[in-house]
Amino acid sequence: MMEKVISQKPSTRTSLGIDSRKLGIWTLIASEAIFFSSLIVTYIVMRGRSTVGPYPHESLSVPLVAFNTFVLICSSMTMVTALASIEDGNQRGLRRWLIATALLGLLFLSGQAVEFTLLARDGLSLGRNLFGGTFFTLTGFHGAHVLAGVIWIGFLVARAFRGGITQTNHIAVELVGLYWHFVDLVWIIIFMVIYLL
Amino acid sequence: MEESESVQRKRPNYLAVFIALAVLTGLEILVTQLPVPRLLFLLPLTLAKAALVALFYMHLRFDRRIFSTVFAMGLVMGILLIFSLVALFSPQELDVK
Repeated sequence: MMEKVISQKPSTRTSLGIDSRKLGIWTLIASEAIFFSSLIVTYIVMRGRSTVGPYPHESLSVPLVAFNTFVLICSSMTMVTALASIEDGNQRGLRRWLIATALLGLLFLSGQAVEFTLLARDGLSLGRNLFGGTFFTLTGFHGAHVLAGVIWIGFLVARAFRGGITQTNHIAVELVGLYWHFVDLVWIIIFMVIYLL
Repeated sequence: MEESESVQRKRPNYLAVFIALAVLTGLEILVTQLPVPRLLFLLPLTLAKAALVALFYMHLRFDRRIFSTVFAMGLVMGILLIFSLVALFSPQELDVK
């Protein structure tokens, strides 16, 4: 008696007809919005309450961070271009723009490392005062999210080189793109709250 | 079949969005050099940048409504959290204590 083998690959669709992975990443992003809101409001509330220096106006370098902001905006552009490339079936474009996004992410992290080093040289640390504590917690957590994004893109680049992403199966690029743009969006808020106000 | 929904999605002009983001960032820095109330000018510029990223780069403008709803729930809770804690820890409140 022959037995028919049926593929048991689980469906990725919810009952609403939506890709569950995409709904999952949006749920993650919504929870991250609350997480970063709590860090941002903690910074807003505590920043003017330091009893010892250094204080924000004498420590922060707007030109360096403005450059870093521009780098992150560029990385969002390269990320959507990677998605557009694979939607058009352009494998080479996908790989090229994903690598560009990861490199821009690393450039952002390098800029943040330079900023942290300069601030440490000025005597600012996590435990120095309330400004230092809230500043490093907020920007550090954001940097950790950028690093996570770079690692995720790295895995995606490896998969792209193996031919694992195609014109009809590129949801992975869309998911990492959503995460990456959210990290960019959070930085847009952080840039205003910390460096421009 | 894992065919992505994005294939049928309308594609915005990503380059125009990028240029708008860069220009708005430049305007934000310009505002800090002018003798104007910063929050009044910076908040609309920042919100415009955030909206551009969410609507066009994250495709909320063209995607299913449920994704906007899920995101809005997180945003509303985050904004409520910000207003609540700012009110709770306002200088007047601390002076009373």
